[in-house]
This record gives sequence, structure tokens and C-alpha cells, in this order.
Amino acid sequence: METTDQNNAVDAPVRLKGMGDGLCVSLDPDQPSDFIRSELVRLFQPLKHLAINARVVLDFGESEGDDALVDELGAFLKETFGVGSVNKSAKRRTASEDLLRQRDMDRSWHHYRSDVLMLTGRVRSGQKVTARRHLLLLGDVNPGGEVVSGGDILIMGSLAGTAIAGQPEGSDAIVLALDFRPTQIQIGPVVAAGLPPSRQGFPEYAHMEGGNIVVENYMEANPFGRMPWPEVR
Amino acid sequence: MGKTTATASIGAALAAEGKRVAVVDMDIGLRNLDVVMGLENRIVFNVVDAVKGKCKIQQAAIKDRRIENLYLIPASQSDNKNVLIPEDMVRFGEKIRLEFDYVLMDCPAGIERGFENSVAAADEAVVICMPEVSSVRDADRVIGLLYARDITPKLVVNRIIPDMVARGEMLSHEDIVDVLSIDLLGLVPMDDHVVISTNTGMPLIMQKDSKAGKAFRRIAMRLNGNSDIPIEIPQGQGRFWKRIGTKFGLGK
Ligand SMILES: Nc1ncnc2c1ncn2[C@@H]1O[C@H](COP(=O)(O)OP(=O)(O)OP(=O)(O)O)[C@@H](O)[C@H]1O
Ligand SMILES: [Mg+2]
Repeated sequence: METTDQNNAVDAPVRLKGMGDGLCVSLDPDQPSDFIRSELVRLFQPLKHLAINARVVLDFGESEGDDALVDELGAFLKETFGVGSVNKSAKRRTASEDLLRQRDMDRSWHHYRSDVLMLTGRVRSGQKVTARRHLLLLGDVNPGGEVVSGGDILIMGSLAGTAIAGQPEGSDAIVLALDFRPTQIQIGPVVAAGLPPSRQGFPEYAHMEGGNIVVENYMEANPFGRMPWPEVR
Repeated sequence: MGKTTATASIGAALAAEGKRVAVVDMDIGLRNLDVVMGLENRIVFNVVDAVKGKCKIQQAAIKDRRIENLYLIPASQSDNKNVLIPEDMVRFGEKIRLEFDYVLMDCPAGIERGFENSVAAADEAVVICMPEVSSVRDADRVIGLLYARDITPKLVVNRIIPDMVARGEMLSHEDIVDVLSIDLLGLVPMDDHVVISTNTGMPLIMQKDSKAGKAFRRIAMRLNGNSDIPIEIPQGQGRFWKRIGTKFGLGK
């Protein structure tokens, strides 16, 4: 859906994509206005007559983006390329997000892939399991055993050995175990050893908070329960 | 851990059941199975000689003084563990298995060449573990290495002090089986008769009131196919053995 060429690279500050019968422009409102205008010219020029009377939505991503900027850029686009309407996208759910969610529903998430190494069994002392990204183990990690991943580590059993998640830099990774009593946890570059003994009897998980590793009751914290829409991790 | 004690006792118990048994001391350079069995002054040839073909297996096998059908193949004291390689042991295994019903190898401590040599020729393995955290960790490591060689080991917990377990001062066998999750073959209590046996050369299993001796006899019977013999949990304070199901530790 997203056309990506050198003019419209994913990390470019101003990007354009087709969206239903309209056009969506993603931009960073903190860029200087002259720069944004020149980028718009670069992106709209090749569209020629396709831009005429088009509905344009400006998506400021995470930033607020003030209305004056919308008005200014709107006037500029109407004048220069004859577009129809120019509006700011709804903050929480942009029109493009609508489309993405519709697609998720239609294809039942079949169009996603996630890199998970799923294993069953027991990781014994002296053994080391390394997953490129996420690791899901239906089993246990014994004292002296080690599990390492580029992403999350989920142990459906007891974790009594060492778990090293989010290698090398992924500080948003979590380590979850039904019975959480590891000898050592590492998330990204941060190490936590000598964790207090778990209260046991419920699943706990470790994650990074303000540069520290924090362990919490997973069901109570429910870290992903409030996400509006299922996402690929 | 009690590997040497277990090898001598299980070997003796199997022989006492009428099997033809060889116990082989694989602890080359640090032999002591001969001392434990009271056969140290009969050694002429040793396992290195037998493996290297310098003597026949029958020449290296020393007949036990007390138990019929029990033979010791001693370690050599002067050599280094590296004189043997696993390939030698595989060939030796092919030969020796023709002459005995059971061949028990007393594995040295560690996971180096001595371990490799013992495992190379083995069909089965018994892991001896003490109720201590560090011992459990070592046993777990060894179990992982055995599985890596497609050997499914069985577990003996040795030197259990029931009163300490009762007071929560010693790991219980349940704790150990939880972590190691392999089939339990038997539980052996701490027993002064073990030292008496080593010092007098009188086999542990022949000492009438040795609880450890009884436990090893039962382990031997279970190894010998009587898998329905229940595992008995050592009890302190003069209380008797408590029975639990035979399924203990199975399918975990
Ligand atoms: N059940 C028991 N009760 C009391 N003492 C025991 C028991 N089992 C073993 N021992 C003692 O523990 C010591 C070590 O036993 P043993 O030599 O059998 O262990 P090992 O595993 O062969 O050791 P190594 O690794 O040095 O070869 C010995 O002094 C032995 O008498
Ligand atoms: Mg020994």
C-alpha cells in the first residue's frame, strides 16, 4: 500500500501516500515551513492532474500540529496544485489507521509475520538457547541454564536460570514467566542480578522503566491489555 | 556424590542376584574403586591395558573375594585420562558386553575426557546426585550432556539426611526431581556403614542393618527390570520406610 521509492523513503520527513480516494501527507510539523513546502512541491508535482480536487489529509504523527499550519499549507496546496480539501487527520485514529485496521480484519492478520522461536522442553544447567528475535518456551529454564533473545522472552513454566532479552539494544523487551525466579535478568544493556525472591503463584514479568529493570505481577500490570488494536510485535 | 560407592554397591547387588557383573573404574589416575571393594592388592592389569589390547579382558578382571560373579576392572594409577579416547572405548564396549550381563563404569568427576570415555561405550546412565544445590546443578549439566548423546539417564539421590529434610534444611528429593525431571531410580540415606564398608572391604549390601545397602539393593533390582518395586523414602528417627507409588518422577 505504501509506495516506497527514493522520493518517498519511509524515514523521509515528509511523505505522501494514496488513501482510498484521497491523499495522505505525513509530515513533521517541527520542520521549517519553507522546507515542508519544498518537499510538498517535490511530492505533488509528479501527480499532475491527479492532485486536482483531491481530498488531502495532513498527518502529523505523534505531534500536535497547530491549525495555523494546516491553514497555511492548505492554502498553499490549493493554490499550487488545485487540491480540493485539506484537513488535519483525527489525532488518535487517523483515516489511514482506519484503513489499516480494516485490512487487519479482512485478512485476519494473515499478512503479518513475526519472528518467534517457539520451543518445548527444559533448558538445563550449562545449556544456552538463543533466539534471533522472540523466544517462547513451553517448559522450564533450570538454574545455570540460559535463554537469550533479540526480543521478548516468554517462559510458560519456571524461569530459574538466566534470561537475556532485547539483545543488543531492545530496551522495550520483556521477560515473562509463569514461575518467575531467575538468577539473572538482562534487558538490552541493563543487568539485574540478586532479584528479590518472587512471590510465586502468579506470572510475573520484567521490563525497563526509567533505565531500571522492574518486575511486576503480569496480570495486575496487564501491560498490553489497554492497547486499542492488536499489533505485531 | 557417591559414584564410586554406588558403582560398587549396585554391582555387588546385581551379582548377588545372579548376574555376571563387571565394574570398571574409569577414574584413570585416581583409582579408588579397588580400595572400596578391598581388591587393591590383587591388581596386575588394568583397564588401560585391556582397552589397548595389552591383555585380555579376563586377565584384567579381578574376581571379588566375597561375591560370586562380580569382577573389577581397575583403573591404571600411573596414566593420564587422555591415554584413552572415546573410539577405543566403543571398541572395548563391543568386546566386554559379550562377557558380562552388566558392565558398570564408575565415571570420574567432571565432564572432560574421562566422562567422554565412559559415555562413549554406555547404553544407559545413572546420575548420582546429593541433596545440595551445587550438586543438583552439576547433575543437571551432566543430564543435558547425556541427552545430547541420546542417553536417557536415571537418577539416584544419595546421602539424604531425613531429619534435615524434615526440618527444611536439606533439599527434598521432590525438589530435586522437580528440577532434574528424570526418572527416579532410588533414594539412598546418609549411612555410616558406607565408611565402615570402605574401611573393612565388606560390601555395603552385605551389611545387615545398612539402610544405604538396602537402598542400593532395591536400586539394583529396579535396574534389573523389576520396575514395580516402590521407591522408599528414607525416614529419620528410627521410623520405618514409607512407601510411595512407583510412578515417582516418571513422565515429568
Ligand atoms: N550414602 C552415604 N552415606 C555416607 N557416606 C557416603 C554415602 N555415599 C558416599 N559416602 C561417602 O562420600 C564420599 C564420596 O563418595 P564416593 O567416593 O563414592 O564419591 P564419588 O562420586 O565417586 O567421588 P569422586 O568424584 O571423588 O570419584 C566417600 O567418603 C563415601 O564414603
Ligand atoms: Mg569416585
